[in-house]
Amino acid sequence: MGQPTPNFVDLISALQAMLPVASLLVDDENQRPFECDGLAVYQQLPLVTVIPETLLQVQEILRLCCLHKVPLVPRGAGTGLCAGAMPHAHGVLLVMTKFDKILHINERTAEATVQPGVRNLALSEASEPYGLYYAPDPSSQIACTIGGNVAENSGGVHCLKYGLTVNNLLQVSMVTIEGELVTFGGDGLDAAGMDLLSLVAGSEGLLGVVVEIKVKLLPRAPRVQVLMAAYSNVTAAGDAVAALIGQGIIPAGLEMMDHLAIKAAEDFVKVGYPIDAQALLICELDGTDAEVEEQLQTVSQCFTDYGAYQIRVAKDDQEAAALWQGRKAAFPAVGRISPDYYCMDGTIPRGQVAHVLTRISELSQHYGLAVANVFHAGDGNLHPLILFDASIDGQLAQAEALGGDILTLCVDVGGTITGEHGVGLEKMPQMPYQFSDAELAQFRRLKAAFDPYELLNPGKGIPTLKYCQEYRSLHNG
Amino acid sequence: MADLTAQLREQVQQAKSEQIPLQIIGANSKSHLGRSVIAMPINTAEHTGIISYSPTELVIRARSGTKISDLNLALAEHDQRLPFDPPQYQMQGTIGGTVATNQSGPARPWFGAVKDSLLGLGLINGYAQEMNFGGQVMKNVAGFDITRLQCGAMGALGLITEVSIKVLPMFKASLTLVFEIDQAAALEIMPAWSNQNLPITGICHWQGMQYVRLQGGQSGVDEAASGLLKQLPGALLDATLAKEFWRQVREQELLQPHGSQVLWRWTGAADASAEALPGAQLINWAGAERWVLAEDRPADNMALVQYQGGDRQAEVNPAMDTHNRALQIRLKHAFDPHGLFNVGRSYAWL
Repeated sequence: MGQPTPNFVDLISALQAMLPVASLLVDDENQRPFECDGLAVYQQLPLVTVIPETLLQVQEILRLCCLHKVPLVPRGAGTGLCAGAMPHAHGVLLVMTKFDKILHINERTAEATVQPGVRNLALSEASEPYGLYYAPDPSSQIACTIGGNVAENSGGVHCLKYGLTVNNLLQVSMVTIEGELVTFGGDGLDAAGMDLLSLVAGSEGLLGVVVEIKVKLLPRAPRVQVLMAAYSNVTAAGDAVAALIGQGIIPAGLEMMDHLAIKAAEDFVKVGYPIDAQALLICELDGTDAEVEEQLQTVSQCFTDYGAYQIRVAKDDQEAAALWQGRKAAFPAVGRISPDYYCMDGTIPRGQVAHVLTRISELSQHYGLAVANVFHAGDGNLHPLILFDASIDGQLAQAEALGGDILTLCVDVGGTITGEHGVGLEKMPQMPYQFSDAELAQFRRLKAAFDPYELLNPGKGIPTLKYCQEYRSLHNG
Repeated sequence: MADLTAQLREQVQQAKSEQIPLQIIGANSKSHLGRSVIAMPINTAEHTGIISYSPTELVIRARSGTKISDLNLALAEHDQRLPFDPPQYQMQGTIGGTVATNQSGPARPWFGAVKDSLLGLGLINGYAQEMNFGGQVMKNVAGFDITRLQCGAMGALGLITEVSIKVLPMFKASLTLVFEIDQAAALEIMPAWSNQNLPITGICHWQGMQYVRLQGGQSGVDEAASGLLKQLPGALLDATLAKEFWRQVREQELLQPHGSQVLWRWTGAADASAEALPGAQLINWAGAERWVLAEDRPADNMALVQYQGGDRQAEVNPAMDTHNRALQIRLKHAFDPHGLFNVGRSYAWL
């Protein structure tokens, strides 16, 4: 626990007065599980953790933080990968997991209203009896919450066709730092004025605390077809992806793994991936029987034309699940072959895939750290996994430096430092690389419009002016 | 084809130092939208041209004065299209204006609005700074989504200089079915059909007929058409007539106000009953968008937009609650502290 400030002493008495004992954690032992999110290399205990159960409590907590000028960090399931939910040493950690109710599923209009602590997969499971599902499906969907998905604008393997969280949002209610409840979006598809609904998506808890969300659900496709194509070089697989999209086919999912990832996954789950392959494409098509059949022919032909030496079309659901299982298990599979791994998240134009992979391989040799590549090839979102051993002095720093180089490489080829994981604390060093001082200043003014005292998740997402000046003097000097 | 960014920035700089409010004008095809404001024009009509277009990346970047019709032509050469299929306004409408006014066509419920295809943009803010947000890649969560924030902002946050848009392949097959049913019956059917796995890209009800457009691969479209015709007696509409009908829906030409008439627009829950909005109406977006002509506000309790006609000095957009209003004002100030851009265009107070 950090050093309490006078403001904080007043705040904690006020919190004690309004919250049940179980909703307020002050000792280190009970707060320990909350000291980091999915990026565990960044850890910090907060001064206090609150786990409210009602909207009024959330409003009061924010009002108190505002009154006493104490920083507040909102948190969902803590599955984020950019240390966006890492607590503030002198602040309150607001855990929203008790808000776990699905409030309404409208079968007729295919919409669901949920509390932010509802798990992503739980929403799709609850929609199943109506033949519906929630499309954004990040790899962490079994545990991550819809509130966290809104904060990070999460994607997933199916966002190539069905969009990110922002494309599936209809309405969001949020508590401002002043404790006011405000709603963006509505029953209709387009509200008048600036699009604050879209602004909240991906705002990483810097603008307010989301307390209720209405999303669009989609009808389950009558047929889902998965196929796999193996290549003896990465360039051919990259070209096949560009060619397929260029031919007008938008698969529901189109994933790529490189040799190291294929081997790790196959050793782990044994689903029959060809371990000699240098690149593997996993493609999912969905729609009616007729639509899928038509697309399947085009896709198989395209994969063959671009040099696939093996194509495997899943014969049944079981085989389809197996083909996906290897991809979904890729992260833990890499975790088995290395004491630690660091997952990056850059996005690049599809046409740059081969170039970027070659460059990553050179960087990997330069730093002496292996990199396994798993990515959403359809939309150019890379997840290089850097293998390292944190117990070896200096290796974490080396892994971070390699990661930083990969991200700036993504910017250099016309891409971005984060496709779906967010900036959080982790990617602050690359923000001044991607954005100019004027752009970063605009971000800060935007934040100040919502949070004039800089209390909401401070030190994350958007670097301060001082940070940027230091960065520029270091890199230009 | 000219890049006038530097000149536009200069004009903003001058307006800033002389404290002269500006009115952003592209081709002036949407002057009937929003409130009427009088300010010094700053014109993007000559700031045109496709900056880059890579069909295999599914991305096109163009200057804000580029006409929608020109974008459509360039895309058609590669069998691609704008997913949100916006109105072209007599071939005059520009992409900058389309983004600022948030214009989407009949396929909006299934293929999204402008914001859903918008990947990035260039903007000159009220400090006369040229900035770029978003990018040309499909996924990008670095920084706040200032790109999508511009959709529907009516230019209040700055002058859009260029935009990057995600495009999609053209449909291989297209057909329209018509069903003779009344409004109430249509509204019963619309949400049900809309949320099935069907290649629907338009459901509309107009003058006693329900129009359903199916687009996609040939076999999928044929399969869907025969399925729907089994559910409800209907007919296949002649392809030329169908094309013209959907053009009129997209161009908002079916209901045009004359004299003291006002065109009212409502967007809301697709399953709201037909009685929600009185009078003969055009129902679009499978029930989620409805249009009606009336001299006076047709329903007091509905959030209606006074879309075209009537008093344009009055508020034309639905009233906004205090908190939303305060945030919009603060955001306006964060981008445009001197009140240069389109002041009062969307709301008198903004």
